[in-house]
Amino acid sequence: MTFELLTNPADTPASLLFQQCLVEIVPENKLTNMAKNEVSGYFLDKIDTIPVSSDLWMKVLNITQKKVRPLPKISSDPFINQLPMTLQSHLRNKKIKWKSFKDVKIASILPKDNDEKLELIHVMPGAKIPQHTHEGNESFLVLHGSYSDEYGEYKQGTVQVRSEDHNHTPVGHSRTGCIGLAYTHGKIKFSGKFGKLLNLLAN
Amino acid sequence: MTKVKVKNPFIDALAKIAEKQDIDSFKKIFDYFSPRLKSFLMKSGAEEAIAEEIIQETMTIIWTKADYYDPKVASPSTWIYTIARNKKIDILRKSRKAILEDIDTAVLPPVESKADENIEHDQKFEMIAKYLDDLPSDQLNLLKMNFFEEKSHGEIAEITNIPLGTVKSRIRLALEKIRGKLEQDGSMANLNLNSDNDSMLN
Repeated sequence: MTFELLTNPADTPASLLFQQCLVEIVPENKLTNMAKNEVSGYFLDKIDTIPVSSDLWMKVLNITQKKVRPLPKISSDPFINQLPMTLQSHLRNKKIKWKSFKDVKIASILPKDNDEKLELIHVMPGAKIPQHTHEGNESFLVLHGSYSDEYGEYKQGTVQVRSEDHNHTPVGHSRTGCIGLAYTHGKIKFSGKFGKLLNLLAN
Repeated sequence: MTKVKVKNPFIDALAKIAEKQDIDSFKKIFDYFSPRLKSFLMKSGAEEAIAEEIIQETMTIIWTKADYYDPKVASPSTWIYTIARNKKIDILRKSRKAILEDIDTAVLPPVESKADENIEHDQKFEMIAKYLDDLPSDQLNLLKMNFFEEKSHGEIAEITNIPLGTVKSRIRLALEKIRGKLEQDGSMANLNLNSDNDSMLN
């Protein structure tokens, strides 16, 4: 599954960030990503050219006159500092708006675009997420800690792709909890006891 | 030991931009890459004005972040392609409003380099280009569609009439070979150089 996620092209900001985190968090993905990028670079060298407008160089040259705002290297937020660099860069000048559901916090980290979502999920140690299915496909990447459900335990760097009919009850690791990145096409649907209420809150 | 030096001129150009904001080097990069990026962007559906806007943004990043370029991680064409591709994904949406902030410098997460410092750093990328040059055209085309034209495996299977599983396995095999060339550590590369030299002497 990772191979598909790595090699099928990312074509939206959400899928790009997700793919980038998948590359960063699993060391062996880095070389696959480098290999794939080199193929692209190779074809950029070979492509036929289309002349650019005659004033484009002057426009670009103007850039060199501008002073560049230096970026702070490290965020002051310890939570952000434990995320992959891609997310750190993306979140550096933003405030994470968490929605809390007891021991589970969810924050959307990109504006909504075509019913596509990219969210950070922070599950406190031992916290249980009510049983739910997924609307559309959800790819969930464990960034930190681990979680388990009826089907197994998922550690840092693992990614699970769940379809609509998949029903599960994840629990955060009793000591570390779990921070994950969820990339969803469509909305999440809770199906357990408090399902109705949580559906309202989550949407 | 004779060492074959293959030095990509754009590595020096990027270094000069990073070190002393060298405009001549910047112009060289602009002249070579802008018409190629324009072609790539317009083929992926950007109108001319948008394509040039993305080129401008890409050049800005090259100028301001040249010091992030690591010749051990990517060839210059690859680094520049990746920046432009990410800008394209960000801008080529309905809203036409950039929402990704500064992930450009993180596009190529550093890999622990095992390469011997004595090995020309771009040599492995030259080896990859050579490997691709030698691939049968139908196989090369699969890679092109997947990674340059950014088509999904499913789309490729449909276009080429090759079963999906075969598309995937061929792409996986080629990528593994390329990975192998990236992975070669210093000692391995030295061995290879030696054996090359030996065979040349014989």
